Amino acid sequence: MSLEARRRRVAAAFLAPAGLVLAGVTLFPALGVVWMSLEQRALIRGAPEFIGLDNYLRLVSDPRFWNAFGNTAYFTAVSVALELALGLAVALLLSRAGRARPALYAVVLVPWAVPTIVSARMWEWMYNADFGVLNYLLGGEFNWLGSPLLALHAAILMDVWKATPFVALLLLAGLQAIPRDLYQAAAVDGARPIRIFLGLTLPLLAPVIAVVLIFRTIDAFRVFDAIYVLTGGGPANSTETLSIYAYKVLFQTLEFGYGSALAVVVMLAVGLAAVLYTRMLRGVS
Amino acid sequence: MSSIHESGFSTAAVSRFSSPGRFTPGRERRRVRSRLASLALLVVAIVALAGCGASERDGAARPDLVFKHSKLFGDPAAFDALMAEFTQETGIRVRRETLPSSSDEQHQFYAINLNAGAADFDVFAIDVVWVAEFARAGWLRDLTRLLPPETRAEFFPGPMAAVTHEGRAFAVPWFVDAGLLYYRRDLLEKHGFPPPRTWQELAETARAITAREPGLYGFVWQGKQYEGLVCNALEHLWSAGGEVLRGDEVAIDSPENAAALAFMRELVDPGGVTPDFVTTLTEEPSRTIFGRGRALFHRNWPYAWGLFQREGSAVKDKVAVTVLPHHPGHDSAATLGGWQLAVNARSRDPEAAEKLVAFLTSARVQKAVAAAYGLSPPRRALYADPELLAAQPFLAELAAVMESARPRPVTPLYIAISQVLQAEFSAIVSGARPAGDALPAAQAQMEEILAR
Repeated sequence: MSLEARRRRVAAAFLAPAGLVLAGVTLFPALGVVWMSLEQRALIRGAPEFIGLDNYLRLVSDPRFWNAFGNTAYFTAVSVALELALGLAVALLLSRAGRARPALYAVVLVPWAVPTIVSARMWEWMYNADFGVLNYLLGGEFNWLGSPLLALHAAILMDVWKATPFVALLLLAGLQAIPRDLYQAAAVDGARPIRIFLGLTLPLLAPVIAVVLIFRTIDAFRVFDAIYVLTGGGPANSTETLSIYAYKVLFQTLEFGYGSALAVVVMLAVGLAAVLYTRMLRGVS
Repeated sequence: MSSIHESGFSTAAVSRFSSPGRFTPGRERRRVRSRLASLALLVVAIVALAGCGASERDGAARPDLVFKHSKLFGDPAAFDALMAEFTQETGIRVRRETLPSSSDEQHQFYAINLNAGAADFDVFAIDVVWVAEFARAGWLRDLTRLLPPETRAEFFPGPMAAVTHEGRAFAVPWFVDAGLLYYRRDLLEKHGFPPPRTWQELAETARAITAREPGLYGFVWQGKQYEGLVCNALEHLWSAGGEVLRGDEVAIDSPENAAALAFMRELVDPGGVTPDFVTTLTEEPSRTIFGRGRALFHRNWPYAWGLFQREGSAVKDKVAVTVLPHHPGHDSAATLGGWQLAVNARSRDPEAAEKLVAFLTSARVQKAVAAAYGLSPPRRALYADPELLAAQPFLAELAAVMESARPRPVTPLYIAISQVLQAEFSAIVSGARPAGDALPAAQAQMEEILAR
């Protein structure tokens, strides 16, 4: 046996336990969900029955699914865009903060450090139309969580508040990796700040931005806890996302087959986003 | 103990790889063998300990029955005494096991365990809306013989209807809940208005009094998209002659329902007597608003009474209750809540389980539970029982409410139907869509669910 072959075998042996664990906790459950999505499986309807793609056909003609899909896509697009813009601004400020930086880090990171359930409960109180601090400060009578037009935006605002620090921190790391002398060269050439930002900072930051987009899109697309606490999906299903719909089908009506189909759609959408961003990442670097 | 053992293992692994030069097969094999031996000893010890625990538990009180229910709020001693009485009378030993108070979690627990054929509990308490679902799945023992006609007549009609599926009784009502109208007696007297009998009177009274009392909301109820909204809306549409199901037919898209739900929307509309944020309110937030003295009328369950009347409450002795209003020409209706006792179809001792159900739902035990925990009994006669009224005077007010209480649609598919109703009722109340659009949508979705 050649040395190379032996080394490969040893490597495989060392990798096997990790592979087994991953298969056990991720691959097999995921395949199980895919399999269940091909079944008519609801606790009160007797024994499960294989029905092929019927659950997916039902999805296509289910207006509640399209409503949830639309809500999820809107939530994801708007919150990720805002988080990226604000996170970039915060990162640029922090990168020039000098000696105050450690203190600012701590302040900026607080929203990210608070568990989502806790911050959602906190925001629920701030949004309270009767005695909430937001209406007090704004002097208005906004029905933040109870109006079909406002509720989803209220959820977006909370998500932006929570995730912007994470985006800022990743982008800050990216900024610090850009060599100083490039900026010095640009300054010597007499480039204006806006030109430096667009021509130098942004292109060099692109790989980090792609990573940020992957993380945030995946996270936002499967949003559950924050919205579940804030509104439970209402009013009029205006904040029902795919994950909340899947939860209600899986754990309230106990339709495991159809609920699994919903879960598979979330999985596919998130997977697709990851592939697209990875392509993008390869394109820029 | 286990962590010490683990670290012992890892030092062995490290020493093996860090000092290959001193590797001697014999010594290593002995070391591995001694470690294996100690591991085996540990496993034996754990198994023995676990075995001990189990046999000890069984030996102390091997129960004949297991009774599952959610926590009773109050001193458990009163209930323990009743259970001891049962054991003394029948020789049947019962172990009580409590579940989390969230109704959704209990539903999940029961559905998953019963579906898997669990026989490790015999008697259990189920929500009023699960009876048909569980009965159709074949999870509940038929208890019709515990409820002969003369016994049925002792119960209110609402809970009796709720436990009946296809003409058979699958549970016995344990205690009941129903929606009622709380109002500020002091303010109605001050401004010279009687308690309202119709919804229109309620709106007019609220409009007149809130105009003269700044900072006062007219009518607060539960309008968030959740089960509570269905309970509130059903009271409106039933009291206008509407229905959700008629027999097996979906009847949600009817002129009566459209008128009743349009009235609900008018309550919230600009210039209405209900604040628009009612679309975020569940029981407790709405109860707090009324409890701080900030609302004239309030719809809630009986539990709120004790909180309004306790020391330090801003509305103590200023509150009264009555049946909910109705639309002209129709009767008031209250949505029924509460818990029923059922027997697991796979119980190993169904006769003993039936005895426990009969005991717990007897007039005597329901009276004791009502006196100790303030829960409303499902038997009419207890609402005129002088001893019980001395302990719980509020019960006298509830008799008429319980009499008018109606179960939500009794169907195995209730939870799926409720999800549709929650969304469509929420659309109407929040103004997203008028009743004329939302009700046909609800009709179509419900027909699809029933046909599936």
